[in-house]
Order: sequence, then structure tokens, then C-alpha cells
Amino acid sequence: MAAPWLEVLDDTVRACTTQGRPDLVRRLRERRSRLLERKLRVVVIGESGQGKSQLINALLNAPVCAVGDDHTTVVPTVVEHAEAPTATVVTGGRRAIEGPGHQPVAVESVSAEANREARSGAPVVRAEIGLPRALLAGGLALVDTPAPATLETVDSMSADAVLMTTDATSGLTQAELRLLAQVARLCPTIIVVLTKIDLVPGWRIVAERVRVALQQHGLPASVLPVSATLRLAAARTGDKALNEESGFADLIRCLHRDLLGQADLLARRSVAALTALTVDALLEPLREQLDATQQQSNGEAMSRWQAEGCRLEKLQRDASRWQTLLSDEVSDLLSDVEFDLRDRTRRILVEVDEYFEAADPARTWEEFEGWLRQNLTTVAETNSEWLLDRFEWVARKIGRQVAPHRADALPESLPRDVPADAVGDLRMPRVERFGVGQKLFVGMRGSYSGLLMFGLATTIAGLPLINPISLGAGAAFGAKSVFEERGNRLKRRQAAAKTAAHRYVDDFFLTYGKHSKDTARQIHRALRDRLSAVADELRAEITESAKSIKQVIDTDAAEKAARSNEIRRGMEELTLLRQRAHSLSPRQLAAPRGLTA
Amino acid sequence: MNLAANTRALLEQALETYRDSPRAVGWLQRHLDRFGDPLRLAVVGVRETGKSTLVRAIAGEKVADEQAGMAWFGQSRHEPTLLDTPALEDGAAVENICMEADAVLYLVRHPHNAELDFLHTLRDHPIARATAVNAIVVLSRADELAGGRPDALISARQVARRYRREPEVRELCQDVVPVAGLVAFAARMLRDAEFHALAALAALPRAELDAQLLSADRFLQRDGEVRGPLLERFGMFGIRLALTLVRRGTNTPDALAEELVRRSGLGDLRDAIDRNFSSRRAALKTRSALLGLDVVLRMEPRPSAAPLAEGLDRILASAHEFRELRLLAALRSGRTRLAPELLTEAERLVGGHGTEPADRLGVPAADIRPAALDVLRRWRGWAESPEFGESARRAAAVVLRSCETMATGAR
Repeated sequence: MAAPWLEVLDDTVRACTTQGRPDLVRRLRERRSRLLERKLRVVVIGESGQGKSQLINALLNAPVCAVGDDHTTVVPTVVEHAEAPTATVVTGGRRAIEGPGHQPVAVESVSAEANREARSGAPVVRAEIGLPRALLAGGLALVDTPAPATLETVDSMSADAVLMTTDATSGLTQAELRLLAQVARLCPTIIVVLTKIDLVPGWRIVAERVRVALQQHGLPASVLPVSATLRLAAARTGDKALNEESGFADLIRCLHRDLLGQADLLARRSVAALTALTVDALLEPLREQLDATQQQSNGEAMSRWQAEGCRLEKLQRDASRWQTLLSDEVSDLLSDVEFDLRDRTRRILVEVDEYFEAADPARTWEEFEGWLRQNLTTVAETNSEWLLDRFEWVARKIGRQVAPHRADALPESLPRDVPADAVGDLRMPRVERFGVGQKLFVGMRGSYSGLLMFGLATTIAGLPLINPISLGAGAAFGAKSVFEERGNRLKRRQAAAKTAAHRYVDDFFLTYGKHSKDTARQIHRALRDRLSAVADELRAEITESAKSIKQVIDTDAAEKAARSNEIRRGMEELTLLRQRAHSLSPRQLAAPRGLTA
Repeated sequence: MNLAANTRALLEQALETYRDSPRAVGWLQRHLDRFGDPLRLAVVGVRETGKSTLVRAIAGEKVADEQAGMAWFGQSRHEPTLLDTPALEDGAAVENICMEADAVLYLVRHPHNAELDFLHTLRDHPIARATAVNAIVVLSRADELAGGRPDALISARQVARRYRREPEVRELCQDVVPVAGLVAFAARMLRDAEFHALAALAALPRAELDAQLLSADRFLQRDGEVRGPLLERFGMFGIRLALTLVRRGTNTPDALAEELVRRSGLGDLRDAIDRNFSSRRAALKTRSALLGLDVVLRMEPRPSAAPLAEGLDRILASAHEFRELRLLAALRSGRTRLAPELLTEAERLVGGHGTEPADRLGVPAADIRPAALDVLRRWRGWAESPEFGESARRAAAVVLRSCETMATGAR
């Protein structure tokens, strides 16, 4: 049956897959395979010049890691068990196309070689060394890392346990403590190695100070004071007591008993820490997303939707207003046009009256008729022109109100035909001719009374009835009658002509007026229909857009609700996972049994 | 009028302008008094960098005053006064240090782990920027860098040299010097009893002694009451070094003390202080005085102080010493680019390796005049060379001015 920690780890991997974090999945898979290898990777970290490489050399009693007084280690070195000494420089990085290269080198110089190459810019990943050492035979792998010590180093080396070196000339610095606190979350098995104790007479006090500092910061790490110088001297001379004094015997015992001996505990603890970290890493974005879904209420779409609603309302309000406006304008227009027409015809009639005061229709009728026709046609043209112009102006004004942004709201042009039949035929009124016979008859009638009146009067004087005086008077009276009759007849003709002209103009007024009103009504209707159609189109457009926005909002809200439910479920699962991880490694087990010397 | 006289005149003018403000007068008077005093050198560092040890090693057993939260070690008239400051993380008032000290020794234990924030703070003030750097980084526990081997200092010197070349460090300090502070201090105060104890140890058989010198614990296993204080004073490195020296025939206390001082790097540090600070005393003093004046001008601005601000700007802009310092900083930080061989020469000529004409020209004192005329001719050419960019020509003009000063001074 699989170990419980493996199940937790697999669940964590699954959670990472669900949350779409392939980077974490890759890392966890790597760690998983490392954990299953049954190999214990002990990573040595520490600030520059704290004796990391020297610690490994002294542990192995072999100068495998390059040591120096300045910044020496640049690339990590991994030391593992092997039947016979082997060493390779692993390259990758920019030359990764060729795949990680393995380049065998002599064991003594591999680390120095790797550092030298890395300094000269070669993409060296690490140096690997195999040594036939009893210490390593149990599956221990020691990793030397370059300074400065960082969390990434520990992470990238997938440490099962961390040896933190700090030299005994001073205690742990604040920076080191901060780093340890971070490391402890990733790899909870930490041993602080106090190096260079041979240099410092008061190292015991320093060690105690370090222990107190660790305790104060709640770091479950044990402290082991060592001296590599003593260990190497002991190896040279074979001095057992010196070896014991160097502290390395304790360190090796600790590595064997507390680390190798409790591999399962370490694995559990690592997995617990790893899961806790991963869960935190997963929870953080989830929490942010949840906040985001809850806070952000799609404000932009919502306000757009509201704006569309307002526009629609305004459009409806406007519709009744512009219709009233249009009919007002049209009735104004009609009354204006009618007045204009009346005014113009009246002026023509005045002229006609004046004309026929003097003129004799019998003689000038032809000329008059032409003039009247001409004038009336002009009136009809001018008036209808004016009507159309006014209509165009009204249409533009209303159009601007109804659809300010649509150039096509108005019909292209209005029908501009002038009624041809408005000016009909004008016939000359019938006037009786004043012929010679009539003249003679009228003259005779007039002369008779004059002849008789003067004949009778002269008979008194004894003259005969027909005498020269009475004849003369008869002639004079006859002529006067003829003249009077001619004048009367002219007056009658003139009156008849005036009446004919009046009737004619009235006819024109009636016909043309009717036609003009009809045109106006037609245009009015056409305009109204057109503008209504435009307004309807606009309304439909707005309604459509509002509907689509609403739809977006609705689907969005639904999606959000689903998403936040999903996120909550994910968070619950993760919290559960963390609890399981926590139960893998209860806190009291966390501190490995350290030395209290 | 030279720089010091100009500055003094400006300070006196400021006193006159601010005579109605007791606070400003007190402050300015302090700066005016200080102007004639020796250079003030603050020793700054985080905890356990050996500040007090180094101060005592440089100053010898002088009585310290407590003032402004720092211990003051006065020396003779011509040597700098040393200020021992509290550790930076214990809340040393950085402002205070910046105001009180003319120059700074910044102590670090290990070059690569050091925090350089303090040095950045030192440069924050506009006047500080205009007058370039006034700090030396000291690797104060150089012996520990190489695990206390007798040759530790040689190795530490290499480390320091490499560290000095790092761009970030070059820009912030004038030099990086390794010192084994504990040994230096012990050597300065070497007592006869200690010498005899060391001589007695050196007389022990080699094999026996080597085994005892392996670790502090082993060393203290025997004769604890004699060796304990000895170890306390010298440290393992000091004892190993002293025993090596005694065995090699350094057989008087004075000779041993002298040799130990030399090997502890204290001599180098003193040279560096002389070269970088004491020889630029006028510039550094002026810098502090101008900083003080600037504080007054900013705290109590008033219309009548306008000429003071102008005078301050004029001194900053026109003093050749400051131009040299600025150029030096620009050359070291790589802001001004010159061909490598010209860069080295320019650095030397503007006093990057010492302000004496012989140091600047790199020739013995007798050959100064011909050498000065030679560089004068060459740099005049470069100052007008059309091949040079604007900033390089400006740099060459500053170097030229330094050459002219040397040539006229050598007549």
C-alpha cells in the first residue's frame, strides 16, 4: 500500500492540474520522483565564506569541492554514492538544444573546473560527483550550493534536508534568520552547522546564542558546532579524539540517525511542507479571483444598458412632441400660403378694375387676356415655390430633432410640380355690337322728340311744324341720343369684362388653392410617415442593443456565479488537503532530536 | 582666494545674515569652529564588525569623549579625529553621522554579504552628490576571511582588490582595505609580558605547538591563565602570526609590534586614509561646512539668504577640488567613458591615488616638472580633440586643469 504521504502528494498534484498550474505540477512531479528515489538530498546553504564547500570536503574527507577565501562556488555540486569515483560537469541552459551535456572530468578538479567554466560564461548547470563512501552508501546525497543562499537554491535542489552553515565568529544575522524562516516552510528539516569553531574561544556561547535565536523565531532546527580544520587535521593524523573534537562525528551521527534513519518521517514532513506551500500558492490567486468576481459588478455594461433605456424613453417622449410640432408648422405654413395667394390675386384684381375703368374690352381683350394669364401663372409659380421652400425648411428642422445623426432621415426632394390646369381659358364676355341700324334707330328716336318739341313751340310763332328750327333741334337731339347710347354700351361692356375677369380669377384661386392645399397635405403626410419610420428604426435599434447588452450582463452574472461557486469548491478542497498534509506531520514531531552539547 | 578661505567667508556671511536666530547662529558657529579642527572620521558598521577595536587600533590608547552618541578619539593636530559610532542596526543615527563626520570608514566583515545601504544614504544629499564620495570600505576582520591562516592577509588583499573593482562598490567608496583589527590593536598596545609569553610559546617544540594551535580549545587546554588573555587579545590568527614571526627571528617587542602592525594591514589603512582623506582635508572640510550651511538655508529660508545660496552653489560648481572629486567618481562609476589607458592616467592625475604631484604623475619628486609639462601637452590635445565626445572632452578639461596646477606649482 502506498504511503499516506504519497496519496497526499498525488492529490496535491491533481489539485494543481485542476487549477491549471502546469508549472507547479511539473515541480511536484519532480519532487515526487525524487522522494520515491529513496535518496536523501541534503543541501548545504549559507552566506558567502561560511565554509559550505569545506564542510562537505571535511564530511567526506576528500577535497571534492573547490574552496577558497573569496567567492569560490558558483555552480552547485552534487555528491552521491558510487562504487568507483566518478565526476561530470552537467551543462544545459543555452545549449539546451543539445540536451543536458555530461562531460566526465577528474574527481579532484571537477568542482574547480565547473566553477571556472561557469565564470567564463559556459552554461554549466552543476557538477556531479560519485564517491565510494560509507557515509553516502545509505542514499545520502550532499549538495554544495553557491552563495548567496536563497530560497530558490533550496527549492531547485529539491532538498530533503538543509544544512545551514554559519561561522562561529558571529551569531546568526537577521538576514540568515529570515532566510531560515522561509526555508523552514519549504523544507522543515534544518540543521544549523556552526563552522570554524577552532578560531573562536567562545564558540559555546555563540552556539547557545544561536539556539536561543532559533527558538525565539520558532525554528525547529538543531545546532551542531564543527570545525573542518580539525576534521581534516584528524584525517591526516588519524587522531580519533581530534575527530570527535571537530564535531563531525556528531554531525555524521546526526545525518545517519536523524535523517537517513527517519527517511519516512522526513518524506512526510517534506510533503506536508510542500503541500502547505502549494496550497497557499493555489489559494492566493483563487482568493483574488473570488474577490474579483464578488466586487466587480460589470459596472460598464450595466451603465451602458441604463443609458440605452434612457435613450429609448427620450425617443418616445420626443415622438409626440415632434408630431405636434410638425402639424403646427404645417398649419402655419398653409395659412401663410393662402394669405399670400389671396394677397397676390387681390392685387391683380385691383389692377384689372383700374384697367377696365378706361379700356374698352372690345378692343383690348386679346392683350388683356395675355396679361392676366401671365400674371396668374407667375402667381401660381411663386406661391408654389414658396410653399415647397417652406416645407423643406420645416422638414429639415423637424428632421434635426427626430434623428440628429442621420442624414438620410429626410426624403431626398419634395415633388415640385406646378399645376398646369390651374390657369384655365378665359373667354371674352359677350357684348352686343352697336351697329349702324341701331345707331340710326336710336338717332331717329332721339330726333323725333326734339323735332316735335321745337315744331310745337314754333307753331305758336306761326311757323309750320316742320321748319328749319325744329329740324335742327331734331338733328341735335338725335345726335345726343346716339352719343349717350354709345357711352352706355361701353360701360356695360366694361362691367361685363370686369365680372368675367373676377370670375376667372376666382376660379383660378379656387382651383389653384385646392391644388396647393392638396400638395401641402401630401407632403405633410409623406414627411410624417418618413420621420415616423426613422424614429421607429431608431427605437428598434436601441431596443436591440439594450437587449444584447442585457443578455451579456445576464450571461456574465450567471457565469460569475458559477465561477465563484467553482472557486469556493476549489478552495474548500484545498483547505481539506492542507488539513490532511498537516496531519501528516504533527508539530511536535517536527524537531529532529538534536544534540544539546 | 582659495577654497577654504572662500568657505570661511561664506560661513561668516551666513552668521551675519542669521544673527537674529539663536539656533542658526549656534549651528553655524559650531561649523565655523569645526572648520579649523582636524578631519573627523566616523567608523561605521553593523554589529560585530570590530568598530571599537579598529578605532583603538588606529588611535592608540587615547581617552575617548562621549558626544552625540559617539565616542570621540582625538589625535594630534594633523591626524583625523575618530568617531566610534553605535552599530547601525542598533539605531545609530545615520543623519547624525552624516552631519558630524567629514569622512567615513565603513566596516564590513565579509565583502559579499555586506549591506551597502548606508553608503547609498551617505550619497543621498545633493551636496554630497556634488562633492563625490568620502568613504573607505574596510574589511575589518580580514583574518577570518581565510580561516585564520598566517597568510590570511595576503589572501584578503586579493579579495579586496577584486571587490574594489565591482562597479557597485567602485561608485560608493574610494578604496577597499583589508585589516585584521584585533591583531592591529594588540600590536599597537603590545606589552612586554605578552611578548615574553609569546616568546616562551615559540620556544616550545614545533610539533607540540602545532597540535596546540589547531584550535582555540586545544590552545587553552594548558596554561589557561596565561594563554586565555593572550588569545583574547590576539585571536588565533594573531597568535599564529606572532609565533611565526618570533620563530623567524623577530626578537624584540618593538620589532614584533611593528611587524604585526604591518602585517595586520593597519599601515595600508593609514596610507589609504592619508591618501584619500587627509590630503583632501580642505575639500572634505568644505564639504561638511557647506552641508551645515545648506541645513540652515533649508530650515530657515529667508529672502536675505539668497546671496548665501548663490555663494554655496558657486563654490560647489567652481572649486577645482570638487571638480576633481566629481570626475573621479564619474570615471570610477563608468559614467564618463575614456579609453582604458587614458582612464587609468586620468584617475591618477586628478588624485585618485594620492594628491601629491609625485603620486599624480607617478614619477620621483625630482622629475615632476618635465613630467608635468609632458602630460600638460598631451591632455591639452585631448581636451580639444574632435574625436572625443562631449563628456570625455569635459573630463579632459578637468584633467588639464590639474596638470596646469602641477606644472605651475613645480616651477
